[in-house]
Amino acid sequence: MVGGPLGLSFASYIRSSRSLYKWAKPLANWYANISGYRKMGFVYDDLLLEERPDVQKALSRLTPRESYDRIYRIRRGSQASIVHHDLPKEQWTKPEDDVRYLTPYVSEVHKEDLERSKWDTMQVKRK
Amino acid sequence: MLSTARVASRRISSSNAKKSFATVVEAAGYKVSAVDNGEPTSSVTILAKAGPRYESKTGVAQVLKNFAFKNTSQRSALGLVRETELYGGVLSTSLTREHIAYTADFLRGDESFFVDALASSLTSTRFTRYELEESVIPAVASESTHAISDPANQALEIAHALAFRSGLGSPLFIPVQKSDLTAEDVKSYAESAFAKDNVAILGTGIDQATLQKLVEKYLGSAPATTGNKIAAPTKTTYFGGESRVQHSEHSHGALQTLFIGYGLASAVTPELAILASHLSTVPSVKWSKGVSPLAATLPEGASASVVLLPYSDAALFGLLIQAPTAEKAKEAGKVAYQALKDAAAGNVKKEELAAASAKAKFLATAATESREGLVSAYGPQLISGAASSLLSVADSFSKVDASSFTKATSTLLKSKPTFVAVGDTHHLPYPDEIGL
Repeated sequence: MVGGPLGLSFASYIRSSRSLYKWAKPLANWYANISGYRKMGFVYDDLLLEERPDVQKALSRLTPRESYDRIYRIRRGSQASIVHHDLPKEQWTKPEDDVRYLTPYVSEVHKEDLERSKWDTMQVKRK
Repeated sequence: MLSTARVASRRISSSNAKKSFATVVEAAGYKVSAVDNGEPTSSVTILAKAGPRYESKTGVAQVLKNFAFKNTSQRSALGLVRETELYGGVLSTSLTREHIAYTADFLRGDESFFVDALASSLTSTRFTRYELEESVIPAVASESTHAISDPANQALEIAHALAFRSGLGSPLFIPVQKSDLTAEDVKSYAESAFAKDNVAILGTGIDQATLQKLVEKYLGSAPATTGNKIAAPTKTTYFGGESRVQHSEHSHGALQTLFIGYGLASAVTPELAILASHLSTVPSVKWSKGVSPLAATLPEGASASVVLLPYSDAALFGLLIQAPTAEKAKEAGKVAYQALKDAAAGNVKKEELAAASAKAKFLATAATESREGLVSAYGPQLISGAASSLLSVADSFSKVDASSFTKATSTLLKSKPTFVAVGDTHHLPYPDEIGL
């Protein structure tokens, strides 16, 4: 995938520019709300594509608590999907609870993989 | 002719003794010492007074040892391994009951990289939780399983616990799957363990000025004092006692093992070292039985090795008896204890004592020829800041005479014995059955 396991993202570029951030942030909030995952009780990182070795490795590095909560949200979300209903409003994910709990681990694993391939394919030059 | 040869050799040994780690300098707050005898390779050891004796939580020292050379803020564990391979060096760690050592062996000329690697491992290891779970705990588990599957190691572990209880009695190998240690525990232990006054840096095959400069360069930015200090050691007391255990489930076909030992709550004396070499069944000439009173009387198939473990303020002396069957172990135990009693009763001939004394002196001085021996002999003294010369060690053996030897041995035997039986506990003897 382009841009590593997490896909292409302009987030860091937008965050670096103050005026761009001010303009894009409300749009991003609006988009996050209408995409509907918060109404199913998910947080954004629950939606990451997990069928790849680096994300699996990252999942194995979650703390027991994070891992338990993730499974709980997935089961609750699946149930909501089965009954064709959003969760009751008090169970919706609040924007401040929508933290990227998995992304740091994924980027760390990605960095490790890149480093390993760098060492595996290096050319040694005698100085 | 003989006498001139002896004088010449004595002169050489005294000049060597003066050369070895004669000077200790402070670099960036660390005690640094190096000796360069012109070897083609260099070795740098970082020795910290942080063995299991000082640990705050059981097993944290062993986990810390296995956390060496993992991810640091400068470079990843993988990068360190690959770079070390490219340079052709070896990174290793070792753990004794009192000290942790990080060692790098490398070709001359690569000292800058390896001192940097050691320094970053010492000061900026990240101690991540997932590394603890993914690589450190499995390494600790396999190390412990491997060590404990040897009944001799198991007997010594139990003997230490019986003899010294806490402190020196803390286990060197923690039980498998011990998971109540967190990365934070290890991190805070490392901070206190690697405080500047708790560490000595020793180099061999490297120039002292070079090492000093490199230490200043790479360890200069380390914080002077960390908040938590390593616990001051409690004064060691010798207790003694008896324990019998079955073989661990991993030791297949292991030998029946007995340990008969005595402890001292003071540093090891030359008398004890002489007693050890008097009883030692290791022959000086290959394919011979040796002149030890023990070697001649041991039953066929049984072995008895002398264990003398010196610590800063204690020592454990004992005989480790191993045999294929419990009956033979019992017989060998009786013989071994009889040999000990004979030595204590003064039944050691003058020439036997002289031979044992010479052997002990040789072993003590020859041990410092190797790099590991040099580090284990001088490192602890370096941390405490008082380095004695080799000569005083060698001289102390000549001061021992028959009466002081007998007195030391009989006092040792008067203390409560430490008795450990590992193996077929239904058939292995009880202490009273071998005369203890």
